[in-house]
Amino acid sequence: MSQNEKKHIVQVFSRHINSGQVKYLKAGHLDVLETQRQSVRFIDPVSGRVMIDCFTSAGCFNVGRGNPVIKKAMAEALETLDMGTSTLISVHKIALAERLASIAPADLNKVLFASGGGDAIDCAIKLARGATRRSHIISTVKAYHGHTGFALSANGKEHYRKYCEPLMPQFSFVPFNDMEAIRRAVTDDTAAIIIEPVQGEAGIFVAKEEYLRGLRHLCDERNIILIFDEVQTGFGRTGKFFACEHFGVTPDILAMAKSIGGGIFPNGAVLYRDRDILTDFVCRNPQFHPTYTGGSDLGCFISLKVIDYIMDNNLPVRAAVNGRKLKDALEKLRLENPKIIREVRGIGMMVGIEYIHEFLGPMMSDALAKNGIFAAYSGNAPQVMRFMLPIALPAAKIPGVLKLLNSERVQTVVFNWIRSVEDFFSRFNRKQRSSI
Amino acid sequence: MNKTTAEILNKYETYFSASHHVVLKNRGHAIVEDHREGDCIYDLDGKRYIDCISSLSIHNLGRRPAAIVEELCKAIQETDQGNFPMISEEKATLAEKISRFVPANLECTVFSVIRGESIDFACKLARGATGRKELLSVDGSWFGQTGFAMSLSDRKDREIYGPLIPNIGQLPFGDIEAARKMITKNTAAVFIEPVQAENNCRQAGREYLQSLRKFCAKKGALLILDETQSGMGRTGKKFAFEESGIMPDVLVIGEALGAGMFPIAATVFTQRLNKFMNAHPMIHLSTFGGSDLGCRVAQKALEEYERLKPWDNAARSGKKLREGLETLRNSHPNMIQSLDGRGLLLSMDMGTADTALAFCRAAAEKGLLVCPGDVARCSVVFRPSLLISEETVVGILQAVSDALAVMSYGFSK
Repeated sequence: MSQNEKKHIVQVFSRHINSGQVKYLKAGHLDVLETQRQSVRFIDPVSGRVMIDCFTSAGCFNVGRGNPVIKKAMAEALETLDMGTSTLISVHKIALAERLASIAPADLNKVLFASGGGDAIDCAIKLARGATRRSHIISTVKAYHGHTGFALSANGKEHYRKYCEPLMPQFSFVPFNDMEAIRRAVTDDTAAIIIEPVQGEAGIFVAKEEYLRGLRHLCDERNIILIFDEVQTGFGRTGKFFACEHFGVTPDILAMAKSIGGGIFPNGAVLYRDRDILTDFVCRNPQFHPTYTGGSDLGCFISLKVIDYIMDNNLPVRAAVNGRKLKDALEKLRLENPKIIREVRGIGMMVGIEYIHEFLGPMMSDALAKNGIFAAYSGNAPQVMRFMLPIALPAAKIPGVLKLLNSERVQTVVFNWIRSVEDFFSRFNRKQRSSI
Repeated sequence: MNKTTAEILNKYETYFSASHHVVLKNRGHAIVEDHREGDCIYDLDGKRYIDCISSLSIHNLGRRPAAIVEELCKAIQETDQGNFPMISEEKATLAEKISRFVPANLECTVFSVIRGESIDFACKLARGATGRKELLSVDGSWFGQTGFAMSLSDRKDREIYGPLIPNIGQLPFGDIEAARKMITKNTAAVFIEPVQAENNCRQAGREYLQSLRKFCAKKGALLILDETQSGMGRTGKKFAFEESGIMPDVLVIGEALGAGMFPIAATVFTQRLNKFMNAHPMIHLSTFGGSDLGCRVAQKALEEYERLKPWDNAARSGKKLREGLETLRNSHPNMIQSLDGRGLLLSMDMGTADTALAFCRAAAEKGLLVCPGDVARCSVVFRPSLLISEETVVGILQAVSDALAVMSYGFSK
């Protein structure tokens, strides 16, 4: 593709979608187009550069981009299916529900479908409020749950909320991983605590096991509904099918989306425990949150194949093993560059590097993009860069990709970048000195 | 009922709830949707039904429109959903095509996957762009299940979900004087469906829409039209509001954009409003909205809408269907209280919710799938494919007539 062709696309996008978004992306050299999407990469059609996708649409491509097995399944589905009728049932809807219930931990075996992450969260919060007849929802600072009405109200960052207020009343926010804070926040009117077992947008913070166990205990004690948002962490991302399995804690409601669609077809689901308080509510209000495009026949057909693929290929284990290697490599970088990298965090193939300054995130995105690695800094924490590669690195490709991400590529990139930062600072310092 | 159907229904009870099954049974829809093509679907036993649900106005081009199926097959081989925050040719081209499909000044698009998400975004846009808080809708509205959409809807069970979005008010439908008083300088936007599909297809008259337009313009409030159900040709025009000669500031296009093959919907609005979004990019995101595959599907769908002009058939067939239903109403005045709607978005008021359900059951038995309205539970809504054949229209009327006859004799209770 020529520069001019791309320029035209960008112009049309600016005019009919958003010019501010274009500026934002350009600032981080993320204004590339994605062609030849395959496995862990895509190709920038203008430069011809291969880009390793470390963002994966915030964790949508767990099975890899353009996965041939999933594509084949889609082709098969398209021989007979369409989205179906949202008010009717089908073999595919029931098969997915059955499968989700069978793989979910403990008694999380009741199902509702949703059209995506936000819709799933809205459904979860309606269920919790409706079932308990209480209003208060506790979420966490910097939490990210989506952009629909209830989900947005549970977002713990001002940036997304401020122009849309007033939002749903009775939402409060406590620091993540702080048991005492949540204990203080609970009232007799608390309906639910909603939490990401690993905060994604906030900058990859893994919940402590004792924290989640503490939440479970607190919720049991006070009859509060515990909601886990596993939209990013589900489907093998963290090394288990659902992140909650790491902690031996079963939420009352578990919301999922993103990778359930295999990077191809939107879908989402909410699982809830077969407890009287929840089951009775749904029984009394079977149509409290019908979904119109979630749980479609095509979506369910694909989601089922995605689960099969993840299970048959043992992808959670791969996520754990490869994620560990990636984390170790990044940790090594941190030790070598303690003045640049503050911390490396994560679990499975959900790893974040925190830099010492917020502005380093966008700069690093830029440096990596120039070197063929597409990685985005976190929306809720620009000093953190997320590495969420497809967990389905084909076995044969693992050494190659790790090589890219490990010594040769990342280190070269990072070192080049560090040098440029050092240059920048030394120039800046010189300038400062000279101005003094 | 065959064994598999019974098993599936059992599992439906197990994984969803017994009441989910009851909802289906009450409508006579305790069937398993299997083969589907054109105007019809078939259950697992091979029984044929005329589809007058269209998944609530999603399948406007009929079931599995060939051109769209083919395009999705092709697109799957070439691309995937893409990274959502990125620029893509698919998104840009679709947004441009939408701007040409809708009236001229609605140039900008934000994508979503469901109506509720489109409405929620419209609410946020209205508040952000005007700097005002108050959102108004009218009684009888139904905008969807997500937070803002539900807060705006006329929904009986709303109080059980706790306090909803504040600063939301309801105008009495059709009352011009009340609108004049209630739309003020504090109003960010007025939301209305030109045809309230779930409320017995009650239509906002030309004069009412023009008045709302005038009051909104005068007070600096936005007029937001939700055409999820009435748009994309359903009422006999591309969009229902065209008949009123007004222009909204924001138009919500529903899931019919994906022609029943892919979840995609859109909120379209003016450049003037997009100044706010351009200045505050990335405050509203959608992972699945504007998926590159969805954009490919919707591009092809728009081409098909333009090529087939299904609104013409909706007007023609809608007229025949309406006439036929009027005749049946005259012969069953005790059962059909009234008829409303236009094009292929028609509704019969059956007096009570029970009668409406009894009708749905009787109709299903006669091979016709229709649902009651979500707001007016006493209504039964007809929303078939916009491309239905004359033969299918005759089939619908025959099934309605047979169902009414069965009900008159009290056979189907």
